[in-house]
Amino acid sequence: MLNDMPLNAAPRTPARASDYVQLLKPRIMMLVVFTALAGLIAAQGMTGQVVHPFMAFVVILAVSLGSGAAGAINMWYDADIDAVMTRTSTRPIPSGAVPREEALALGLIMSAVSVLLIWMAANTLAAFLLALSIAYYGWFYTMVLKRRTAQNIVIGGAAGAFPPVIGWAAVTGTAPLDAWLLFALIFFWTPPHFWALSLVAHKEYEKAGVPMLPVTSGAKATRLQILLYTLSLIPVGLAPVFTGLGGAIYLVTTLGLTAVFLYFAVQVFRSRAGDADMADAERRLAMQMFAFSILYLFGLFAALIVELGFAMYWPIGA
Amino acid sequence: MSDAEPTPEPTEEVLLLQAQKRRNLWLAWALVAFVVIVGLTTALRIQDTDFGSGDRLYFSGYLDEAAVEAKSRKSREAAESAVMLPSPEAEEADDDG
Repeated sequence: MLNDMPLNAAPRTPARASDYVQLLKPRIMMLVVFTALAGLIAAQGMTGQVVHPFMAFVVILAVSLGSGAAGAINMWYDADIDAVMTRTSTRPIPSGAVPREEALALGLIMSAVSVLLIWMAANTLAAFLLALSIAYYGWFYTMVLKRRTAQNIVIGGAAGAFPPVIGWAAVTGTAPLDAWLLFALIFFWTPPHFWALSLVAHKEYEKAGVPMLPVTSGAKATRLQILLYTLSLIPVGLAPVFTGLGGAIYLVTTLGLTAVFLYFAVQVFRSRAGDADMADAERRLAMQMFAFSILYLFGLFAALIVELGFAMYWPIGA
Repeated sequence: MSDAEPTPEPTEEVLLLQAQKRRNLWLAWALVAFVVIVGLTTALRIQDTDFGSGDRLYFSGYLDEAAVEAKSRKSREAAESAVMLPSPEAEEADDDG
């Protein structure tokens, strides 16, 4: 068992503030905050209900703290496999900067603080959804799914999909269909996003014993799955237009970005990315798709923010 | 002629202690921020209630008449809309019929 491996074997170095920031997975936090903000703004734009700017700030702060807490719990549990993989071996725990139990304590305390804050500033539903998303990522994905099934990313993707629903619930106290459409957008986006990266890093996952799809089913099957999930983003991306959540700006954005995303998926599908004999250009292609997928999600949620937050909503077919 | 004594390198223990002090300072600031956020959130939530009427941030021990009247009017309207009570005119019309 990897979990039995001795940790913190590296000489202890004094932790800096940046080590603790790394523990909170700041890049994931940025995406979480952005999508939660989009949910919050969309809810205000669609329902006309307005929250006090300070309360909105506290809600976003709580969501970011919750995301960081889940990240710290994940790093605490995964420290053994992080130490094995080159990409993650410099993280604060395997590098010896932060003791493992300190990461767990930070994660648990921040979880409690974040749920308490959002409960005070918003409502019970938002607090429940935040607690659920922290447990989903910190426990269900990290401790149950990740080391057991190749569908870890698919099922675990729900953890990252909660923030817009939390943002919406914080405004209205409800989670209607439109909020769940934003959830679906992130949910179906997650597999092609991570699998594009895992095509390049599958040897690392194999070394660590993590059953990522390229490890269990091979690169070819992964490339097909990437294409299929990207195709599913066409109806999922267009759905907000049909419910009235997305207007003209969103429609143009989703059509343009989905077309490019699909182009990358087809190119990756036709390539040998992830195969043992893949060329450098194919490795770059997979990484380009990974990078573009981030831009894709930012673009769609930014379109919603512009439309509903800056009164630039032009309805389709009205 | 004598060279100046080289400054001794701080030991690992000293470095760890310094790092711990820095962490404690960050924790203290985080606690202060938490207290401020909870305080402001509470104050804003209280303003939304009857306790916060009359431009007062915190409950001062009494409700003014306007607040009492507004509260009872709201309760009456809520009750009427919930059970759809027939108006007195409608009742009279029923009696006539």
